[in-house]
Amino acid sequence: MRSEALRLDNLPDFAMENAYYRYFDAMPCYLTVQDRDFRIIDANQRFREDFGETENRFCYQVYKRRSEKCEVCPVERAFWDGHSHRNEERVTCPDGKEVSVLVEATPIRDQSGEIVAVIEMSTDVTQLKSLHKQLRRSQRRYRLLFDEVPCYISIQDPDLCIVEANRAFQEDFGSCLGRKCYEAYKHRTEPCAPCLVQETFEDGEFRTREEVVTSLSGETIHVLVTAAPIRNGQGQIIRVMEMSANITQVRELESRLTSLGLLIGSVSHGLKGMLNGLAGGMYLVDTGFKKDDPQRVRKGWDTVQRNVGRIQSMVSDILYYAKDRIPNWEPLSAIEVAEEVCNLTESRANNHHVQLTTALDPSAGQFEADAQAVRSMLVNLIENSLDACRLDDKKSDHRVTLRLQGLPDHVKFEIEDNGIGMDQETREKAFSLFFSSKGTEGTGLGLFISDRIARSHGGSIDLQSEAGVGTRFIVQLPRKRPLQQEPRDPHPSERETPDGRQSEDRSGSR
Amino acid sequence: MADNPKTVLVVDDDPDARDFLTTVLTDNGFGVTTAKDGNEAIARIEQAKPDLVALDITMPEKSGVAVYRKLKEDDQLKTIPVIIITGVSDDFKRFISTRRQVPPPEGYISKPVDHEQFLSMVTDLLA
Repeated sequence: MRSEALRLDNLPDFAMENAYYRYFDAMPCYLTVQDRDFRIIDANQRFREDFGETENRFCYQVYKRRSEKCEVCPVERAFWDGHSHRNEERVTCPDGKEVSVLVEATPIRDQSGEIVAVIEMSTDVTQLKSLHKQLRRSQRRYRLLFDEVPCYISIQDPDLCIVEANRAFQEDFGSCLGRKCYEAYKHRTEPCAPCLVQETFEDGEFRTREEVVTSLSGETIHVLVTAAPIRNGQGQIIRVMEMSANITQVRELESRLTSLGLLIGSVSHGLKGMLNGLAGGMYLVDTGFKKDDPQRVRKGWDTVQRNVGRIQSMVSDILYYAKDRIPNWEPLSAIEVAEEVCNLTESRANNHHVQLTTALDPSAGQFEADAQAVRSMLVNLIENSLDACRLDDKKSDHRVTLRLQGLPDHVKFEIEDNGIGMDQETREKAFSLFFSSKGTEGTGLGLFISDRIARSHGGSIDLQSEAGVGTRFIVQLPRKRPLQQEPRDPHPSERETPDGRQSEDRSGSR
Repeated sequence: MADNPKTVLVVDDDPDARDFLTTVLTDNGFGVTTAKDGNEAIARIEQAKPDLVALDITMPEKSGVAVYRKLKEDDQLKTIPVIIITGVSDDFKRFISTRRQVPPPEGYISKPVDHEQFLSMVTDLLA
């Protein structure tokens, strides 16, 4: 083109004009030449194709279907100050199609330097505009996705500094831009070994690993971490994106399922033992009637009752275990609770020929607790003591004592027996799930659940025991429910982040 | 049989289970001794050799498995027939499958015990 332009210099004027006209026509944009009244005095082929023949019509009529000139007109300004002017406009083609154009108006001067016309070049940027819009939209969408995706995402530089983090991350681990990954996630002072992100920086591979991290509020979170490389235009890894899905619930579910499997095994084992007891009782009742032996009938009937009782308490333990109850707090009178528990267990003590005695402080006062839970905890402990007495054949007199004492901040229940007692191993495992020293009789649930009830009340159960001598359970329950058990604020308050700023409230209601 | 009754050692940690089998056996003319765990069972066997052992597998202290092994590894005692009584069938299968050098027990009954089945098994083994 340049070589042709050079040759143009040598052409006669009319030939040169002809050549320029050809270029004018071929330009890949709309070209018009307008006079001071914005009348189109010439237009290129592209313009004519899209807008038709426009001789003697005005720019604003053709481009915008207006009856008068536009408020902001680059052509007018070019006439006015003699400079080129740009503007972006939307114009309407005769077929009704709207087109975005980038307008450039350049003055044309005659030999005396006076502006005689303005050439207006309009480049169709509709596609470019829509691409821009799409890009902006997709950027917004990615940002939304980045923020709202239900996992923690951080983008880290080669020093493991967090350069970007999504909303979930910032909510649970604080505003941590610029901090090290291991500080935010694990409250460590040096990188973890091995470090997933470092490995991905080295080889560019995606990798996944399970980790345990700690949130701002001290909660332990199990996460499945995936590290993915982010490359620049040259293919170099400049960042690594770390995505961590919270799988705490999955892990909890898994452990519950494992316990459930154990529970089913333990329950069916226990149940067979109790059914065997029932079969024995029925045999005694049956043969007692045949032999006309009332004593044998009585003994058999006691056995039946005892085993029905065992089945009942096992079923209530299972029900308690199956539901993670939130205590139904109410003020309770300690002495009333103790008396109720005695009434509930008295007949079972009689069946076992165990003397149930009490030493209750009538001024023990009130405490806040879930009545049903506390009752079943104390009944469980007393039944455990009754069993310990029944299994002991070394002593002739067996006794279970329930004591109640009021302390300034606590109420204290003590259950003491002179049954078989526990050796060290049994003592240590006494409160473990599915541990039972009672062989075929125990499900290993009772003491586990009692302990859980005490803890859920902010209290504790201590155990003193000696094999062959007896056992004492000491239950301490606070008079006031623990702080975290206060009714929850439906809109959790803003919390301080480590850098002193306040993080946004998750509910967004403030 | 009335003059010199055969004795059965009933080993179970559950007193109801011991009472049950004891009554069934004495009602039918057998002599009975009982033990509430493995240690006690071994002590009883050493005191007086029983003619048959009814053995629960899952017990605290020394388990039924250990008692069984002791019985079957002792030349003096290995002829005593043993009926395994347990509520855990899986335990029993594991017990048998991991002890190839020990012969299987003479009888096996699962809880809850059918007293007629138990009695006929005892009678057959002591015939």
